[in-house]
Amino acid sequence: MSDETQDTPPEGTTRRRALMLGAVGASAIVSIRPALASTTASIVTCEIPVPDQGRAGSYIAADGSVVPAGTQGAFAPAGRPFKGQDVKAALNGGQLPGTSYQQSQAYTNYIRRLQSGTSGFTCFASLQMPRG
Amino acid sequence: MAERLYRMARAESLRAVHLDTFVALYHRTSGITHLITAPAPEILATLGEAGMTLAALTQRLAHDYDLGDLDDAALAARLEELVAAGLVSDA
Repeated sequence: MSDETQDTPPEGTTRRRALMLGAVGASAIVSIRPALASTTASIVTCEIPVPDQGRAGSYIAADGSVVPAGTQGAFAPAGRPFKGQDVKAALNGGQLPGTSYQQSQAYTNYIRRLQSGTSGFTCFASLQMPRG
Repeated sequence: MAERLYRMARAESLRAVHLDTFVALYHRTSGITHLITAPAPEILATLGEAGMTLAALTQRLAHDYDLGDLDDAALAARLEELVAAGLVSDA
């Protein structure tokens, strides 16, 4: 009955809130993953168009933003969508196939900025799946 | 122990909703929702985006809270969970 300690700091202590770290084997997190993204097969086969179809033809600036076609210093759209596997490698410091170093950086920056609802986002989200 | 620096994920990538004993944390980067409970929210708030070492975190938590069961291994385990979930980076 009087075992509750949360609101009754023992005498002599400050009013700091009690915090239990728990046992080593315990867990303080439950993760709810999107069902689509939880399959490893989708990571290999899914594709990310750069840019998405809605903005097809637009160029990609070095920082990954989508700019009008022909913008100086920006890169022409990728000829074909990139495979999840290639994007994963690029996100880890690799280079997208068929691109120059700077082009790959620009495309990778574009992919990093993908938002929910944009084509390729689910694929990108799958690549972000934490380990475990 | 190597001086790893732990940082909370960028604040703008997180959307938190407090639900009594839980915090539902939507991580925009991964599209995953995490239900976290004490001490995870407190660890995230303490780490912040600036980041700190495990030793500094231990010290700070012990200062801010009354840690009933201070155990380095347990705190390291909680941190690793947050890293595995993608909510904390350990660059």
